[in-house]
Amino acid sequence: MSELNLNEDQQDCLQEIINVAMGQASDQLARYLDTFVYLKVPSIEQVSTLSLIETLSSNENSASVVSQGFFGYEGIRGEALLVYKPKDSDRLADLLGYEPDELSVEEQIIDLSSILTTTFLNVFAKQIDNQMSYSAPRLLAGSQSAVSDHLAQQSFNWDLALKVKITYQVTDYSFNCDMILFIPESAINNIKAVIDRILEEF
Amino acid sequence: MSFSVLVCDDSNMARKQVLRSLPEQLSANAQLAKNGQEAVELLRSQQFDILFLDLTMPVLDGLGVLQALKDENITPAIFVISADIQPEMQNKVLELGAKAFLRKPVQLEVLNTNLKNHGFI
Repeated sequence: MSELNLNEDQQDCLQEIINVAMGQASDQLARYLDTFVYLKVPSIEQVSTLSLIETLSSNENSASVVSQGFFGYEGIRGEALLVYKPKDSDRLADLLGYEPDELSVEEQIIDLSSILTTTFLNVFAKQIDNQMSYSAPRLLAGSQSAVSDHLAQQSFNWDLALKVKITYQVTDYSFNCDMILFIPESAINNIKAVIDRILEEF
Repeated sequence: MSFSVLVCDDSNMARKQVLRSLPEQLSANAQLAKNGQEAVELLRSQQFDILFLDLTMPVLDGLGVLQALKDENITPAIFVISADIQPEMQNKVLELGAKAFLRKPVQLEVLNTNLKNHGFI
């Protein structure tokens, strides 16, 4: 298994790019929910896909997971997962304030996830002079097997994942969701090359 | 006339981004702080004319710095530079005394326009 092995400058650069993307995704969330979102420094770590799936959900059906593929230039691609804890996915319907007959809870979660994922990745891509397109978001049953089956269907080698943990604290509620970016090894190397290019300018 | 500058951001890259966007006379002797606490301590011991301040930081965040400076009546011209672009946050920092809110990644022209508007260049 190859590794990201980011040095301090590369890690800092990636962190800052992610900060900017997270800020804009949170702004969208705040507008969508008509509330204020308190931001914390996001945690970024590289994990092996296997160990991640094992820890993702210890019991069956405990969370909602929305998955969406992204594709950019220069071989930058991957799969973004938004993972909601069960109490947070229930709370989401209250937060969103949809009328009961408008959209199902599932549709609302997919809606919100897609806004967060595409806003985050569009801003991320723009900063590295890239541009993303997306597959349709899909709600997976929140179990290990559903997530690993879904990843197994993709045509990449998923040895590594970049786990970006973003905690959205909504003023009146505590609402959390983790954004996890699964990135194939080749794409990780490409991202590293882009980061080095950015750092050369400094 | 020269002005003393403090740049506070937890990201090395963001600090460099600010420094290289500043005109030479402002960046030459600029000092740096890695979090809000470091910035407040520097501001207590030395006089600064300009503070560039990030918001989302460990130890003490940007709002904490603005509040501390207000409480202690320390009054540099503060330009907040942040990725947290929510309108409510922008209003908050202006209420706490910041001169302007600039969104990250900071653009050279925007920074310089703001410095001109406040008579620093």
